[in-house]
Amino acid sequence: MRHVVIGNGISGISAVETIRNIDPQARITLIAGESFPPYSRPMISMVLEGAVRADRLPLRPEKFYESLQIEPVIGEWVGKIDTENCLVETDRGNRFAYDRLLIATGADPRPLKVPGANLANVFFMRTQAHVQAMLDAISAGARNAVVLGGGLVGLKAAYGLLHRGLNVKLLIRSGYPLSMQVDEFAGKILLQKLVDRGLEVRVGAEPAAFEGNGKVKEAVLTDGTRLQCDMAVIGKGVNPAVSFLPRDKIKVDLGVVVDEHLETSLPGVFAAGDVAEHFDIVRKTRWVNALWPVAVEQGRLAGMNMAGRKVCYPGSLSRNVIRIFGTDVLTAGLVNPPASGDFDSVFSYDGHANTYRKLVFRGDNLVGLVMVNCVEQGGVLMSLIHNEIPIRIRAPRERLVAPSFNYSQLMLK
Amino acid sequence: MKEVVVHPERCVGCKQCMLACTTAHSKTKSLLSAVLEEPKPHPRVHVGAGIYGEGFPNRCRHCDPAPCLQGCLPGAIYRYERTQSVLIDPDRCINCLSCAMACPFGVIRYHQDALSLPGKTIAIKCDNCMERQAKGIIPACVESCMTGALTFEECNESLRRKTKEVARRMSLGAEERTSSGRAPGFALLTSLKQAQTAINERLPRREARHE
Repeated sequence: MRHVVIGNGISGISAVETIRNIDPQARITLIAGESFPPYSRPMISMVLEGAVRADRLPLRPEKFYESLQIEPVIGEWVGKIDTENCLVETDRGNRFAYDRLLIATGADPRPLKVPGANLANVFFMRTQAHVQAMLDAISAGARNAVVLGGGLVGLKAAYGLLHRGLNVKLLIRSGYPLSMQVDEFAGKILLQKLVDRGLEVRVGAEPAAFEGNGKVKEAVLTDGTRLQCDMAVIGKGVNPAVSFLPRDKIKVDLGVVVDEHLETSLPGVFAAGDVAEHFDIVRKTRWVNALWPVAVEQGRLAGMNMAGRKVCYPGSLSRNVIRIFGTDVLTAGLVNPPASGDFDSVFSYDGHANTYRKLVFRGDNLVGLVMVNCVEQGGVLMSLIHNEIPIRIRAPRERLVAPSFNYSQLMLK
Repeated sequence: MKEVVVHPERCVGCKQCMLACTTAHSKTKSLLSAVLEEPKPHPRVHVGAGIYGEGFPNRCRHCDPAPCLQGCLPGAIYRYERTQSVLIDPDRCINCLSCAMACPFGVIRYHQDALSLPGKTIAIKCDNCMERQAKGIIPACVESCMTGALTFEECNESLRRKTKEVARRMSLGAEERTSSGRAPGFALLTSLKQAQTAINERLPRREARHE
């Protein structure tokens, strides 16, 4: 059996390990566009910050490909897939035949469609190479940075640059950071913390253009404000990397649509990770959850199915955890439920300890949670969401978010 | 391979395992001096309260596949094949809380430790007393447990022993014959069933929640 895996992100790596584990005879080819060895993408911001060196990023031993007898194709990007003849062709014209193909191409940063976005020193922060370019710009004298986007990437970029001693302005379109992950209350707690830590934050701010002569000099906002800067980082989310796929042969929505075996509409072709569109457990609909732990589990499951073990994937859950600016935030599922529907939520806030907990229910089921500064038990609650375990208790639900919460209180009235 | 097996029905909540665990993971390995150490040592096993206020020793299950290992961003969590333990490399850990989000049992804590570089907060969890096991000593929590709630044995052996215990109680020996003519184990089983019924009655039924 000839397996071809496109992408050496964590999903592709998990898949090849699983295939090799099940089938010692299989021929496995891994096509890796990025020439850096398989690395921890979420950690690149720590390289920017200076907390770890770039040589700490690789996730597997140096002889990883050799030890698993994988044929790596490094530095080549897949240009097209010939589904008739089961061939993958790279940008250098090399062709690879497959019996089973995994699309694990991940996602690309969402471009910002404003004039001047292609000026020098306007960066994305997605790859190790991006961070290296940012560090080079700092060494060359950049001192004032503008970071766009209050999501995880924006926060991590701002934190890293602040640690490097730059003046950082964080521009957030909505009224508070992490607006896609948390509710307004938690967002405001975090916002206050960012300001306390010396970050200049502008909410409701959106860029209209970047200006400069070859290199960025100013960011112009939609309200006409001009911000001096010598570098900018765009953190406005990601799009699944699907541009090379034949859409008439393989069904693509936002991501590559996959079934419960992570197989695409074309038999023998699978997809996993940030590029795949599977099912969201609480949203009850097709969804792309471009998250690290989801990429690991999907890569592993796709590998099993490719190697002939039919295993079902139940779906994924949006979730995130971040410890930044002295604040811990853990979220999962639906935290801002729609006004319609059988939703119900409880929360507790302790201003002294600055802890906040919110749980969202749909009927008997927990479907969302936000925790600020008391996150150690978050995994327990998350597994209740993940496994769709109904929570039927006689005690008021508020007890669940009380600081002294203990499961026995649910049973003993 | 021997492993730590938890028998929750035997736990009385004395928390001796927590104390022993803390001591075993301190620098000085002595309770008296451990309390004076900096950073202060912490336990890896946590005794919580069960349904009737009885104890439950909550300990890392060393799952396979382990969600914390799969979710670890820096690749600091790994499986040590010899003892099948899930371990955390204190040097690689970046204190990102990804394992807190992944662990369905809530057994990972974050603090400075004798293992960590000075001033560095890291993820800490049960390591199956790797250091003691290397010297041929059983895990500290098991050694300290006086009620048999924690045992160190082959998992299959533990199951076999339990099956035998139940079978022995259910079989009728001449010396055990009670006035009802049944083995004493039946009374035990009946009381267990009654307890289960009591729990079920305390739980509200699905439609009764909005009363």
